[in-house]
Amino acid sequence: MLEIKNLSVSYGTTEVLSGVDLKLEKGQSLAVIGESGAGKTTLGLSIMGLVRGSRRGEVIFAGKNLLSLPEDQLRPIRGKDLAMVVQNVEDALHPLYPVLEQVAEAVTVHGLKDKRSALKTALEYLYAAGLEYPQACAYPHQLSGGQKQRAILAMALVNDPGLIILDEPTASLDRRNKAEIIALLKKLAKDRALLVITHDLSTAAGLTERMAVLYGGRLVESGPTADLLANPRHPYTRGLLRSYPGLGSTKDLQGIPGRMEHGVPGCPFHPRCTQRVERCAKEVPPEVDQGGRMVACHRGGVVPLLEVRSVSKCFGRLKAVDQAQFTLYEGETLALVGESGSGKTTLARTVIGLLKADAGGIVLEGKEVTARTGDFCRRVQMVFQNPGESISHRLNVLQAVKEPLDIQGEGGGEERLDRVRKALDEVELPSDDAFLGRYPHHLSGGEAQRVAIARALVLNPKLIIADEPTSALDSSVQAKILKLLLNIQEKRGLAILLITHDLALARKVSDRLAVMHRGRIVEQGNTGDLIRRPKSRHTKRLMDFTI
Amino acid sequence: MHINYFQELKQNRSGRAGLAVFFLLVCLALLAPLLAQYQPSDYTGPAFDPPSARHWLGTNDVGQDIWAHLLYGAQTSLTVGLGAALLSLLLSLVVGGSAALLEGVYDRLIMRLVDTLLVIPPVVMVILAAAYLRPGLWVLTLLLAAFMWPGGARLVRTQTLTLKGVAHVAAARTFGAGGRYLLVRHIVPDLGPILTAILIQNARRAVFMEAGLSFLGVSDPTLISWGKMMQYALKYSYLEVWKWWLLPAGAALSMTLTGLTLTGVTLEVILNPRLRKEVGHAGN
Repeated sequence: MLEIKNLSVSYGTTEVLSGVDLKLEKGQSLAVIGESGAGKTTLGLSIMGLVRGSRRGEVIFAGKNLLSLPEDQLRPIRGKDLAMVVQNVEDALHPLYPVLEQVAEAVTVHGLKDKRSALKTALEYLYAAGLEYPQACAYPHQLSGGQKQRAILAMALVNDPGLIILDEPTASLDRRNKAEIIALLKKLAKDRALLVITHDLSTAAGLTERMAVLYGGRLVESGPTADLLANPRHPYTRGLLRSYPGLGSTKDLQGIPGRMEHGVPGCPFHPRCTQRVERCAKEVPPEVDQGGRMVACHRGGVVPLLEVRSVSKCFGRLKAVDQAQFTLYEGETLALVGESGSGKTTLARTVIGLLKADAGGIVLEGKEVTARTGDFCRRVQMVFQNPGESISHRLNVLQAVKEPLDIQGEGGGEERLDRVRKALDEVELPSDDAFLGRYPHHLSGGEAQRVAIARALVLNPKLIIADEPTSALDSSVQAKILKLLLNIQEKRGLAILLITHDLALARKVSDRLAVMHRGRIVEQGNTGDLIRRPKSRHTKRLMDFTI
Repeated sequence: MHINYFQELKQNRSGRAGLAVFFLLVCLALLAPLLAQYQPSDYTGPAFDPPSARHWLGTNDVGQDIWAHLLYGAQTSLTVGLGAALLSLLLSLVVGGSAALLEGVYDRLIMRLVDTLLVIPPVVMVILAAAYLRPGLWVLTLLLAAFMWPGGARLVRTQTLTLKGVAHVAAARTFGAGGRYLLVRHIVPDLGPILTAILIQNARRAVFMEAGLSFLGVSDPTLISWGKMMQYALKYSYLEVWKWWLLPAGAALSMTLTGLTLTGVTLEVILNPRLRKEVGHAGN
């Protein structure tokens, strides 16, 4: 019904949409999501032919290319076969006419009916949209926001269009009105094509079957709505979901570093992406089909950073870790939860190489790890439980944080000092000479743990294994340390393998959760789902102990 | 916690006394050629001369200067003491350290050997060996070291095992540190205090045993030593001479042992967290 091919729109020299391809059949619904400025509204307006910039490409609707149609041929289609509900209900209605007349005008302007029957049809549609007699004849200023939204919906639907474009249909509504409008839209738009343009993920999720993510004028990911929301593949989609407060997610909100810019060469998201490679700045990634999901990313979406493949470790006859298996993706937190003695720490120590695995393999960035070389140390670092023990009492802050650089022989003296200062800045500690000369016993527990984190960050690793990083600290310090780790994760796309016995804590900081019991991973999944619907009895038992 | 042990030692009264005595003796031994007008082997006057301006502590039975004997005896005592202590410490470090680092069969075998050596009473063994060998200065040092190291080896092994499991050593391993780096930068510096304690303890024992062996007359007869002075002086205890022959030698030996003991005990108080009351000098 609607097919958009390689649509590009620019205002002056700024390209707002570049090479957008979309397809929408009758009875289908598609949501276009993205943050403000991504080009969503421009997309809707250019379908309607209302955009002022220069356009390239094709928008084929019912066999006709709308972009090449002259205005007088466009007008009969617009509003009749093709309706748009624009953003901002306050401005969309004329303040001097009652809504009933305005809805009827949408019918008469196309010369379909005479005024009398047009008014009758308008009343029917207003009624269907949930506006009854006195309100239907009221002036816009007499109506509430929700009622105005209903009136506009009636106006869009009154000519029975084949395609409805909804631009932020629920932006200014409260939760209850939003739910009602969504239910109404679903009922009314059953056998039409529906294009929903929104930054509101819950509206998109409620209204549509498919979803496309727009960033910087390009589509970066599209696929079935439920699947895309549960399992985002493009780093931008994941960032967008992380910044959206949903009842399903338990992790603290995280943003995306930087801000959106138009007209960047290569992948539009690469300046903000934490897993970019050189190629991302040069070539525009093509959309690749990944089993029903289109992802435009040179790296094929969020990359798996660490794969642990049926790792086992025995101490004598005790099977401390038994066939543990999990995958950790770039920039995410996987919490390994379990009571003490369940093998969490052993698994962590086996991954980093402090212990040798008896069986199984560890794959880092697609390469099997055989020896813990310098390269491995630059990628994977560890934060230990007790900073008082993990930092040698003989080393001052400078020496302690510099130690990894010394061991790996990175840079000269000046550069090392610079990197130490930068790492300390990153963990929000002073980096002046006085602080650099302090010894661990001069520091509070929280400060010492920050120093330990700075030390783990100084080699710029992609993965940090944090073994109970806060259990030696009191709870206010714990909160700050965890916030710090999440901020660093947001900034650099750091993956965190968090070892903890505290399910409540894991719930707030992890994307995914793996529950260990007697050396085995008994359950793993998205943290929110797992907390709401635990399957394993060990998980349930852990939850019973957590208040 | 980082503690400046030397500062703590200086702050402690008995530690200060011990160090002072020890440094006094070292100075006397080093400056012996300047402080004594005669060589100890020279026959400088009549026998049994009482103290005078020429002979501060008089002369012995063959007319040698006792003051010179006393100073050069300090040289012997300190050389044997420090030499044997350092040598046995090195042995303890190598044996104990390697046992802890390599573990396994090697550890078990070598530690059983250490246990075996520990149950042999060293004094008896050293006396027997010395009587047979008639050791000079260097052989005596070797002999003492050979019988003193097992105790230290046990301590070093235990401490190294503890340090191996310490988180900052594990942390250094996660930065990619190899065995040598860990040993040189983390384990040995942390062993420092306990090595010092072992060293002082061994030195004390070595000084005492050297004197004892000389007193028994089982070492090289030409060796100048406090023990030998006492042995000879005792033969003439019916004469006045013991006052300036036997007493100074005995006093010098006691002072050395006291100095070392005081230092050692103070160090133990500083090193052992259970005996320590407070940290006065932490940090750099």
